[in-house]
Amino acid sequence: MAPHLGQDEFFKSLGELLSKTSQQVQGSVYLTQKPLIDVPGATTTNSQPSILIRATDGNTNTPNLKKEGKDKVAKKSQKVKLSTIVNPDEIEAFYVRYAEVCKAGMTGLKKRDRRGRKAKTKGGAAKVTKA
Amino acid sequence: MPYLPTSQAYLEQSAQLLQAYPDTTRIVTKYNFPTNRRGNLKRAYKSQVRKDTAKPTDAPSTTPAPPSAATATLTLKTFNPTTGICLHYRTNKAQEVGRLITSLGKLAAGADVAGLGLSAAVPAAGADVEMTDAPAPAEEVAPVAGKAQGQVQGQGQGQSAKGKKKGGKGKR
Repeated sequence: MAPHLGQDEFFKSLGELLSKTSQQVQGSVYLTQKPLIDVPGATTTNSQPSILIRATDGNTNTPNLKKEGKDKVAKKSQKVKLSTIVNPDEIEAFYVRYAEVCKAGMTGLKKRDRRGRKAKTKGGAAKVTKA
Repeated sequence: MPYLPTSQAYLEQSAQLLQAYPDTTRIVTKYNFPTNRRGNLKRAYKSQVRKDTAKPTDAPSTTPAPPSAATATLTLKTFNPTTGICLHYRTNKAQEVGRLITSLGKLAAGADVAGLGLSAAVPAAGADVEMTDAPAPAEEVAPVAGKAQGQVQGQGQGQSAKGKKKGGKGKR
């Protein structure tokens, strides 16, 4: 397994991964967060564990047997796998940057810049609450 | 497992799950574009057609733009492997990303339901009442219907009808 990255490096790579996916208009990015427990190197304060953050593009390095005979084999790229550890006292600062990177990278989502649509959704929301 | 209707419901349920099983629960955020598989495209086309026929007046002005640019979706999943509980929330709105990620940070830091500061964000008191009211009858009805399907069905329906009436009054 690849070693954990520092936070700056992690954010840089995550930004690249997200923008690459958005530009291709294809593929996925998986972001996982879970507590690190009983692992050497993880600091625990106030019974609050460190958090492990992972990011992958969901590719598998194992060949897909169904597609073996087809032309997709040549395209197969290596799995992108990033991970970093966030200490309990850094969580808040980390998530501020994390949210910024995600907002900047996830450009494929719907924006609310259209006035017509905005008015329509407002009307719809009002209806829902009244009904 | 369930896709929750609102991000607030998702975050509240997730906070409870994390409180109950802080060591094993994990949160996965998936950002993905729809694939170009044939079945997927077909389904998207069919739902688009259905929308067009449902709202014929809107169709000419709004439909040409969305299909050209595929919109990504953001799926949040809170999963606990020991109990098999899995909560989902799905959105395609860019404006929600920042708020969701900050909330995930609060969850990671071990915040409880109150610590998320969500109930304060609810605009009207009426909506608040609705949220606390609505889940109760649904939970009551489900086990009854599951245990004895034939016999107690009448009661179950009665309960659900009551619940609905109550909910209606509360909202108005």
